[in-house]
Amino acid sequence: MATTTATFTLTSSDLNSDPLSLSTTKTCYKAGTTIGLDQTTGLNKIYLTATTNVDIITVPGATMAGKNAKVYIANLSTDDTEYIIVTKGGNVIGRLYAGDFLWMPMEQKAAHLSDIEIAPSVATGMWVEYMMIHEGMKLTGSADA
Amino acid sequence: MATINATINLTSSDLTSSPLSLSKTMTMRKAGSCTGLELSSGLMTRKFTSTNQVNLISTGAQNYGTPTATINANKLYIKNTGSSTTSYVTIGLGDASDSGTPTTDNVNGDSMTIGRLYGQDWCVIPGHLATDVGDVWIQPSSAEEATVECILFFQ
Repeated sequence: MATTTATFTLTSSDLNSDPLSLSTTKTCYKAGTTIGLDQTTGLNKIYLTATTNVDIITVPGATMAGKNAKVYIANLSTDDTEYIIVTKGGNVIGRLYAGDFLWMPMEQKAAHLSDIEIAPSVATGMWVEYMMIHEGMKLTGSADA
Repeated sequence: MATINATINLTSSDLTSSPLSLSKTMTMRKAGSCTGLELSSGLMTRKFTSTNQVNLISTGAQNYGTPTATINANKLYIKNTGSSTTSYVTIGLGDASDSGTPTTDNVNGDSMTIGRLYGQDWCVIPGHLATDVGDVWIQPSSAEEATVECILFFQ
């Protein structure tokens, strides 16, 4: 097993009259266990030059249902007006503007239905990085077989 | 304006042969702007005692403004504060069924399961907060009391 730790800190001194300071840490486990997630896509870095909606994480099928997975996506643009629209199965989760990231669990119910897609707001080129940390993927045949 | 900083650190010495040490900080800003988000739900604590699928965040003008195509740089943090490694809460987007039978996920539709949060799991996601389809629902896997905390930043 592997030990992967995800830590989140949230701070603001001027949002409220009471300063906000929140921190949480969690080890990424396989579903229903204390065994660490042991597979990853690696940290992908891509450059998108069209506003087309593209799959960045595809689900092979219902065999992955109930398996645990965590997804990280970051928009590396430095232009405040640029964003990517993140969708799952074609349903909008939200926008990540320049510098924004997300970290979320990923239920993998079925191919297409649970795929993660992104669409840039501009076609002038945008850097995005993403990674999935997961369990349960067994390759029994070539994708092009 | 306010300055809200959020940082994620992902580390692992043994997930791959090359150690993972990723750190990313974002300052939460209004859509298309360098001005910080300045509205917040506050850090909420919610308890659930059934396996019904219910709304955690209900969108609407009286709660979180009226989102438009250009006003949706909202951010949502959710944490399952329980300690169970077997019980979990499932979160997703769309109008909740208010029953033990969840709404059905559909491609290009109005309901979507995001994923499961086991004890101490957390997530941070953008939120478009459009009426109904932008509702954030939650469904515990067990009727034993589950506690979730969340905070929404919006404009």
